[in-house]
Order: sequence, then C-alpha cells, then structure tokens
Amino acid sequence: MIATVLPLVGRRLLVSIIILLAVSFLLFAVLHVLPVDPAAMSLPPTATLADIEAMRRQMGLDRPLPEQYWIWLSHVVYGDFGNSIFFRRSVASLVVETLPATIELAVLSMIIAAVLGLVGGLVLFHLRGTKKEPVLDFGSIMLLSIPEFLWALFFILIFGVALQALPFTGRLDANLKLPQGTGFLLFDALAAGRLDIFWSALRHMILPCFALGIAFSPTFMRVLRSSLLDVYQEDYIHLARLRGLSERRILVHHALKNAILPTLSLMGVQFGILFGGTLLVEVIYSYPGLGNLMVDAVRNADLPIIQAVGLAYCVVVLIINTVIDSLYLVLNPRLRNR
Amino acid sequence: MMARALPAWLRSARVLAGLSIVLVIMLCAIFAPLIAPHDPNEQNLISTFLPPVWSKGGDPAFLLGTDSLGRDVLSRLIYGSRVAMLVAVFASLGAMLIGSALAYVAGYFGGLVDALIGRAVDIWMSFPPVILSLILMVGLGVGLRNVIFAIVLVDWTRFCRVLRSEVMVVARKDYVAAARLIGFTHWRTITREIVPATLPLLITLVSLEMGIAVIVEAILSFVGLSVSAQTPAWGQMIADARQYIYDSPWNLIFPILAIFFAVFGFNMLGDGLRRTLDVRLTATQRA
Repeated sequence: MIATVLPLVGRRLLVSIIILLAVSFLLFAVLHVLPVDPAAMSLPPTATLADIEAMRRQMGLDRPLPEQYWIWLSHVVYGDFGNSIFFRRSVASLVVETLPATIELAVLSMIIAAVLGLVGGLVLFHLRGTKKEPVLDFGSIMLLSIPEFLWALFFILIFGVALQALPFTGRLDANLKLPQGTGFLLFDALAAGRLDIFWSALRHMILPCFALGIAFSPTFMRVLRSSLLDVYQEDYIHLARLRGLSERRILVHHALKNAILPTLSLMGVQFGILFGGTLLVEVIYSYPGLGNLMVDAVRNADLPIIQAVGLAYCVVVLIINTVIDSLYLVLNPRLRNR
Repeated sequence: MMARALPAWLRSARVLAGLSIVLVIMLCAIFAPLIAPHDPNEQNLISTFLPPVWSKGGDPAFLLGTDSLGRDVLSRLIYGSRVAMLVAVFASLGAMLIGSALAYVAGYFGGLVDALIGRAVDIWMSFPPVILSLILMVGLGVGLRNVIFAIVLVDWTRFCRVLRSEVMVVARKDYVAAARLIGFTHWRTITREIVPATLPLLITLVSLEMGIAVIVEAILSFVGLSVSAQTPAWGQMIADARQYIYDSPWNLIFPILAIFFAVFGFNMLGDGLRRTLDVRLTATQRA
C-alpha cells in the first residue's frame, strides 16, 4: 500500500513547493508597492537624503524587483530573513520564538473542533426527521454566524470577568518562568517535570482554544451529517441491515468510515482558515504567538517581519494540507488507482 | 391567496427572517443621521462609561450608555452599520464579479485555462484569509475603498471554487450542446444558457459572502487597519471596549451583538435562498 501511495504523496509535495515559491513572490511583490521606505525607517530622523540613498543602495532597494526578490529568496533558503526594523533583532529568531505557541494553540483548537464536530454531526444525524430537527438546524446557522473572535470576547466576559474562573492574558501566570526547550509549552513543562507550569499553561489555553474550536465545529457537524445521509442511501448499508447487524454497528463500522472522508478533506481547508483565525484570538488574549508578532509588525510597518510571518503561515498551511491529502489517499482506497 | 401570489423564495420563513434583519440594518445605515440621537463622535468627558438606561445609573439621554470618551454607544452602533453594510454589499459584489467570471471561463472552456485558474486558486488558498487581508491592507493603506478592495482580492476564490464545479456540470448538459449546435457563440452560450442555470447558487454565495465581509471588516477595524478612527465601525468599538473591559463590559456586548445579528441575517437569507432556489433539492430537504 505504501508503494502505491508514495509517488502520489511525492507529487503532492512537489506541487506544494511550487505553490510556496509562487506565494513567496506574491508576498514580496505586494509588500514592495508599499508607500513606506524601509531605508528611511531604519535610519535616525537626523539622516540626510544622501544617507537614505546610500542605505537604499546598501539594502539593495535600488535594484529591479525580480533581482531584489532573488536576493531575498537566496537568503531565505538559508533561514536568513534579515533583521527587524523595529525590534532590531533577527527576524528568524522572532518567528522561531512565536511559531510554536501558535501551532500549539491551533492544533489544540482543531482537536476541539473535530471532537465537537463529530459529536454534533452524529447528534444531528441521529435526530434527522424528528421534531427537534428544525430547532437544531436553526441552532447550527446561529453557531455558524459567530466567528471565533466573538466567542473569544464572549468567553472573556463570562469566564474571565464575570466568573473570574479562568485567566485570559498571556501563556502563563506572571510568577512562573517560561521553561527552556522547544517552545511548545505543554510539552516543555512535562519534559521538565513542572506540573504547575503545565497546569497554568493549560488553563491559559482553555478559553482561546474553545473560542476557535467552537467557531469551527459547525462546519464539520453539517458536512458529517450530510455525508452520513448520503452514505445511508448506499446499497451496502441496506445489505448490512439485511444481514441483521445492529444499527450501532452499521453506523460505526460501515457508515462512519465512509462518511468521515469528506469531513477529513474539509479539515485541510478549514485548518488553513483556523490557523489564520488564531491571529485575532491571540491579539484578544495577548497570547505571544505569530499573530501578535504580525499585528505589531503591521503597526510598525516592519517589512522583514511581515514577509517572514506571512510566509510562516503559508508554510504551516501547506504542510498541513499535504499531510491531510496524503492521509486521505491512505484512507481512501478508491483514489489510489488514479 | 396572498401567499400563492408570492414567489416560492419569499414564502420561506428563513428568507423572511434573514431579509428582515438585513433590511433593518440597511435602513439604520441609510438613515443613520435621522435615527441616531447624538453625533457619533461627540464626546462628553463628564459622563464616560455610563451604563445602559435600564441598569442603575443609566441616563435616558444615552439609551445604551457611553464609552470611554463619553460618546453615545447607540449612535456609534447606528453609524457603524454604514461601514459594515457598504463593505458587505460592495465587497461581495466585487468578489462575485471576479470569482464568477473566472469560474465561468474555467468551467466552460476547461483545459489549460482551467488549469491556470485552478493553480491561482490553490496559491490564494494557501494564505489564511485573515493573514492575506492584513498583508493587503498593509500594501494598500487604510480607508473604506481599500478594505473593500482587499476583501475582493481575498474572497474571489470562494466564488471561483464553488461555482467552477457547478459550471462544469451544467456545461455538459444537452441543452448547452444544443445551443452550440444552433450556432450560439461561446459568449451567448455562457450568458444565455449557463449563467441562468447557476444563478441560484450565485445568489446564495453572495448572501453568505456578505456575512463574511462584515466579519472581515470587523477584524480589520479591530486591529486598526480598516477605516480611519474618525469613522465609527463595530470592530473599532470592540477594540476600544476591550481595553476597558472591567469598567464597562456592556460596551463590549453591544457591538458583538450587532456583528452577530448582521452575520446571522445574511446566513439565514443565504441558507433560505439555497433551499428554495435549488431545483434539485427534494421537498423534504427544502423544509
């Protein structure tokens, strides 16, 4: 099975790399039509026009755009994204510091969304054709109309301000120190055997993760429900019923295995959107990840950071899409013969 | 008798509910200067953080209370609907025009054109929409026109992806082949045969996109990258209230509700239209 799937996965990987190149060029082009001058910004206000001109030449800004892109790309390949104009630090180190926090947030949120989607989809399907269906339908449109940042604010109001049950700023309690390690806080805390840090980090993640998870679950619910409805029209379900299998067994062993596939392929697309959605949730919860770095950079017109963070988001999305597509190939034998 | 005279889509409870919510907000936006009790930017620094009128200490002059600068929350909400509705209407129509034009070309002609457009969509989809719109706003600069432009440039793919597969199905129908055989040009075949067949889907997508545009505008104005600070916008109100969450939680609640109702209205409308306009749905699915 591996032998048949591997070439397909390889081709998928190649396509991803080509897309990434195109994305990096687009990103570069969009940000270089900016009305701000990075050369002037990296100099003190006392600099003369001649100083700025010299700086422009030094930064390569006087060269044609494709050449500038080539120079930038040849550095990026080695992990050199230049220095931040505002923070005066290497951009790569800033991204490496913040990326794990965002990935941790996104993955946990996706798990919550998937679990809620699975449970909700099964409930919706189970109650099909009953009197409760219109109510649930109405409820799912309502859920679909609440984006993640409204949930985030809503949770702050209820669990943070009114009940004071959970923290809603940062990644850790103020008296705890960030452990050294991978940057994945939950993992680092466990590795260091610091359960207090683990517990504090987890408590800080509950509200943002549930905000994202709940916001993304209704799409999964609806798709799972409708693919279950489709699958139940198939002959093999009738056959299973004729063989006298219990409804529960039919659902779990026959229907769900096939109906879950469209939901899985949807998860690839949804993860991309969710990963972007972390941005505002991070800003709302002052969570030190890529999103906050991006918003800071945008406010300071810090081009090297915007480029690098934009690219980082795309790389993660492409990796996840490639993984999910490959998983889809492995799980769906019908696609392998193409 | 009355009900029978109405077209099917106007008899749907979902469409009616969605339409009335949207209409109320639209009317607020159009007649904002007549409805709003105060100037939305008028500051009353002696009466900041007033609670809504029904809670203790509320002032009947400020029905929903005041914000950190003593500005009337109700008036700001009403004026904020202008930005939201302008963006909703123009961004969704713009995204529809670009996305559907490319979808018709790709789905109808297929081959190389289809492959090229498909790749472009793939490249766009690898950007999370929020990130792409932020980057575009950095490139374009703030302002209402640029917000609309950025949303169009981000969301055309939604139309293109969904519509393209629908166009491919329709383009293989016998009546399309018949149209070509009696000498219709490609242009005439697309506009006379294919566009009408895909119109229900298009209308539904526009309605859903309006809700998305409201959300994206709120996100952009929350991070201060939408309209200028002089123009009231719901996202801005939220950002402002977020800073004073302990002083006045209610300042956060009203703009949240405004965004929710706008998006809910568009989603109800879209869902209702999808059910009533799609000829392939059975009677039970439509109910």
